[in-house]
Amino acid sequence: MSDKSRPELVIDGFPGKQRPRWVELATSADHKDLGRILITGSFGFLFIALVELLLMRLQLAIPENTFLSPVAFNRMLSLYGTSAIFLFALPLAIGLFYYVAPLQIGARGTALPRLGQIGVALWAMGALVLYAGFLFTPSEAGINPLSPLTELAFLANNGVDAWATATGLAMLGFILIAIDLLTTLRNMRAPGLAWRRVPVFSWAAAVASCLLLVIGPILLAALTMLMIDRNYDGIFFADGSGGAPLLWQHLSWIFFSGAYMLILIFAFAAIAEIVATFSGRPLANRGVVMGSLAAIAVLGTMAWMQNMLTAPIGIGWMYFAMLMSLALIVPFGLIVFNLITTMLGGALHMRAPLLFALGAISSISIGLAAEINHSMVAAAWELKNTTDATAATHFALVGGAVFGGFAALYYWFPKMTGRTMGENLARISFWTLAAGVLLTFVPLFFAGGEEGQVIDAYKFFDGTGVNGYNLIASIGSLVLAAGILMTLINAILSRVNGPEAGHDPWGGDSLEWFTLSPPEPHNFDVLPDVRSAQPMRDIREAIANRTASTEAPAEETQPVA
Amino acid sequence: MTPHSPGTDQIDTLLQIGFVAAAIVVVAINVALVYAVRRNRAKRGVAAQPASEGRSGQFRVGAVLTAFAAIIFIVSVVFTSNARETPTSGATGLASAKTGPLTIKATGQQWLWRYDYPNGAFSYYKLVVPVDTAIKLELLSTDVVHTWNVPDLSGKRDAVPGKTNKVVFRADEEGEFVGDAATLSGQAYAAMRTAVEVVSPQAYEDFIKQQKTDIDSAQSRVVGLIENGEVP
Repeated sequence: MSDKSRPELVIDGFPGKQRPRWVELATSADHKDLGRILITGSFGFLFIALVELLLMRLQLAIPENTFLSPVAFNRMLSLYGTSAIFLFALPLAIGLFYYVAPLQIGARGTALPRLGQIGVALWAMGALVLYAGFLFTPSEAGINPLSPLTELAFLANNGVDAWATATGLAMLGFILIAIDLLTTLRNMRAPGLAWRRVPVFSWAAAVASCLLLVIGPILLAALTMLMIDRNYDGIFFADGSGGAPLLWQHLSWIFFSGAYMLILIFAFAAIAEIVATFSGRPLANRGVVMGSLAAIAVLGTMAWMQNMLTAPIGIGWMYFAMLMSLALIVPFGLIVFNLITTMLGGALHMRAPLLFALGAISSISIGLAAEINHSMVAAAWELKNTTDATAATHFALVGGAVFGGFAALYYWFPKMTGRTMGENLARISFWTLAAGVLLTFVPLFFAGGEEGQVIDAYKFFDGTGVNGYNLIASIGSLVLAAGILMTLINAILSRVNGPEAGHDPWGGDSLEWFTLSPPEPHNFDVLPDVRSAQPMRDIREAIANRTASTEAPAEETQPVA
Repeated sequence: MTPHSPGTDQIDTLLQIGFVAAAIVVVAINVALVYAVRRNRAKRGVAAQPASEGRSGQFRVGAVLTAFAAIIFIVSVVFTSNARETPTSGATGLASAKTGPLTIKATGQQWLWRYDYPNGAFSYYKLVVPVDTAIKLELLSTDVVHTWNVPDLSGKRDAVPGKTNKVVFRADEEGEFVGDAATLSGQAYAAMRTAVEVVSPQAYEDFIKQQKTDIDSAQSRVVGLIENGEVP
């Protein structure tokens, strides 16, 4: 029917006033719009965190540099850590879960959309509060600001209050989104989509939501106590009046360990989808992989005292933390084993998503292998709070959130925009990023592991044997930044100019590829009956069979009439 | 780090074991990745095989991983309990510390370490200890969390306000060992360093005696000034 055909009935009144796109987006309760706000916003904060990292690396390029004052450095450090975790890695993972998981389970929306809308708004407010801190004073207390340094007696300006408010708002937002996501995954799966058939990424979304519902309130409780201490004469973390500085460490490290695991769960789930799709075969032993993802959430969070091995806690607790961290070897090992098994039986299409996914596995493998040393109690006494820890954490989390996040971006970008991202720029970006990560963080392994350079310090001293390592790391951070910027630019350019992708550019197995790219607001017009863990594969096979049966035996059926 | 104490000897060995374990993991995973990519590219006409279900294989892999983790755990427990043992003083050590370790109080404050010796003498920044003698440092903090960190002599330990932590070591040769504080403690954190000067037992005795005399005379001079009304 063409536009010129005469309508049979005129049922519309005056055409609605077209509201600007940004108003639509800002007032939308659609999980796709909210997911896109989180994803776009998180990449914006990745850029800001990168600037802060570069400023710190510039300060640490040469010994006893005076480029940044101690206070300015501590502020950069606090902003960098908070931006990287609360404004980049977590919202990126949650945003992708929130965008993709409802599509993967064939839901027409989310169960509690207003909750998700409030969640994204709270996160945005948190980000605003953190950076509005520049108008007065940002926090100087570091990435995990340990009590009692955060008490009013030691940091009297309101930077810590701004930090606590910002992280609290963001965290509250994440909790609301997690509630919506978990309810949706529990109640709105397509007919036939039993839990055992749920795509790995949606399963990971459920695991991550449960994890957030455990660790989120713990952080909120700790932040509330901190605010009471600072503003209402509380004594939760103040020593000497019945308070306990170690309480903050326990509560905050439960959160940070859980968040670390959440980012890795997100990354491995995205990698699993990508490896299966680009190998052209289903993920090997998906039940084992799904169980392992859940085990990581539990064990990783239980290992929180791994971060407190130098604190005055009993040796038994230290061994407990070591047991939990070393137990993580089993689920992580099983996941990596099954990813490689999948690849070994597949036909690999080395496109950008797979390239970044493999980079993520490689980078995370280095980070987690180095973490083994940080779990071994006596070894941790030597390595803790050295740049060796910085390097291990960054290999794991840059592997998870940057390589893994970029892999997910390249993979789902066609679904979100209808266009694929540039392949050549992706390749250049990948190799630059890989070189940047190695150049930046391998020297820090040596500086920390061999020479014992300590973290968070605004300067290091000449003659301690770390000049060369730090100079290479500073140069490497520029390469790292270039690699990240190329993919961000690629995404911006491809949004308008990328080649048209179609609805199922990669031949994926799960239901998000069944709908349009970008999906309509209601996601699906119709849904297929799900009969296996690979509904799209079933549909493709059914179409192939039907085509074969209608074309080949056509001559035999002809004379019947 | 160059180990100069029985505890750091143990830690050094454990670190080397850990490095080998980490290297095995990194090499195994990355070699497998490169192998899979080189062998299975679709460009080479490889066809994807149907999904395989090998649950028994999963148990075998799980068992190997569990064994790997268990070995690391047991080795770490052995070396850790060795490393935290309080050493005994050697033959050339301080005579009075033959039965138990020489206990010194180390107090962290923004941004300095203060050391209190058994005879009442104290020093800032620099800790003087006798060679070949078991030393026990009692770590305290007057304000925020500080981490005492002299890598050659001992692993790190936190000084947390309201709690007592301890560091034990026995320096095997005379000389100066330096370290940085290792927990962000405010503005001058990077400058919060400390030095352990290991000297002969005789020199140690002389040092604390001299220090005590100096402190006492300085204090009595101040007390005298106050009594004479020269200082309000």
